[in-house]
Amino acid sequence: MSTKNKTSDGASKGKVTESLWTKAFTSNTEWPDKEEFLDVIYWMRQAIGIVLGLCWGLIPLKGFIGILLFVAVNAGVVYFYVSNYQNIDEEEYGGMWEITKEGFMTAFAGFLVTWIIIYTGLHGSESL
Amino acid sequence: MWGDSLLIVFISICTAFLGEGLTWVLVYRTEKYQKLKVEVERQSKKLEKRKEAHGDSLDKQHKKKIEREEERLKNNNRDLSLVKMKSMFAIGFAFTALLSMFNSIFDGRVVAKLPFHPISWIQGLSHRNLPGDNYTDCSFIFLYILCTMSIRQNIQKLLGFAPSRAASKQGGALFTTPPPQFK
Repeated sequence: MSTKNKTSDGASKGKVTESLWTKAFTSNTEWPDKEEFLDVIYWMRQAIGIVLGLCWGLIPLKGFIGILLFVAVNAGVVYFYVSNYQNIDEEEYGGMWEITKEGFMTAFAGFLVTWIIIYTGLHGSESL
Repeated sequence: MWGDSLLIVFISICTAFLGEGLTWVLVYRTEKYQKLKVEVERQSKKLEKRKEAHGDSLDKQHKKKIEREEERLKNNNRDLSLVKMKSMFAIGFAFTALLSMFNSIFDGRVVAKLPFHPISWIQGLSHRNLPGDNYTDCSFIFLYILCTMSIRQNIQKLLGFAPSRAASKQGGALFTTPPPQFK
């Protein structure tokens, strides 16, 4: 695998981030730099975590089903994105497990914080 | 109660920035650290590529080369952690003091309501120093830890201070069995 088109740090950051966005949202993109792709997965995870936290807090979803649903949706979306949308060969990244755990704990903590805070704000006075 | 929880999020954002700022002043901007970091990253990538290319070959020469590079990487990694260590200790002490201060401010106060019943070994943390046995009440420390977990790492990543994946992957081998020549 060639890494010739690796971008130099800071030189054209605006251009790089812009192209990263388009790359992330275009299906079947070539990812010569593995780190870039893993970064996309990482940030996608964080976004999903916060969005789900907001939703669960607003509904409000209570109990462990909320956590289980988060894990399922988070893993499912990433799995779908990697294997169906981008058609990545997961072996290149050390198996699906490596991709699945990329940024998971941080996303989980972010999800819990948003869920707890929205829930406290809207339904804190009710008892569980 | 909501004000308290938002305040805690704000506190952890501030402490995360403060921590990163301090580490930048004490570690990240020093020439020694930058040099070592670049070196470690370059070597990790090179080693990974080499391992990919000749991973399964039984060629003795390649194996020896890989071993030699691993050794060099390990030494550099060790130097890097040593550079970090001193200031990390200082920052650690400062933050423990800060944490105990906040802990006493929020002592016995319910800062949030959990939307789930935490499992028993989390309850000690989530219900620390709180009166009553309603385990959906959340203590300061639990929310603070969660905030720190998510915010600190994201800030590190945003600012570009997080160690690269290749380096941490190779660095993970730091504490495993020593290479054959030391046996």
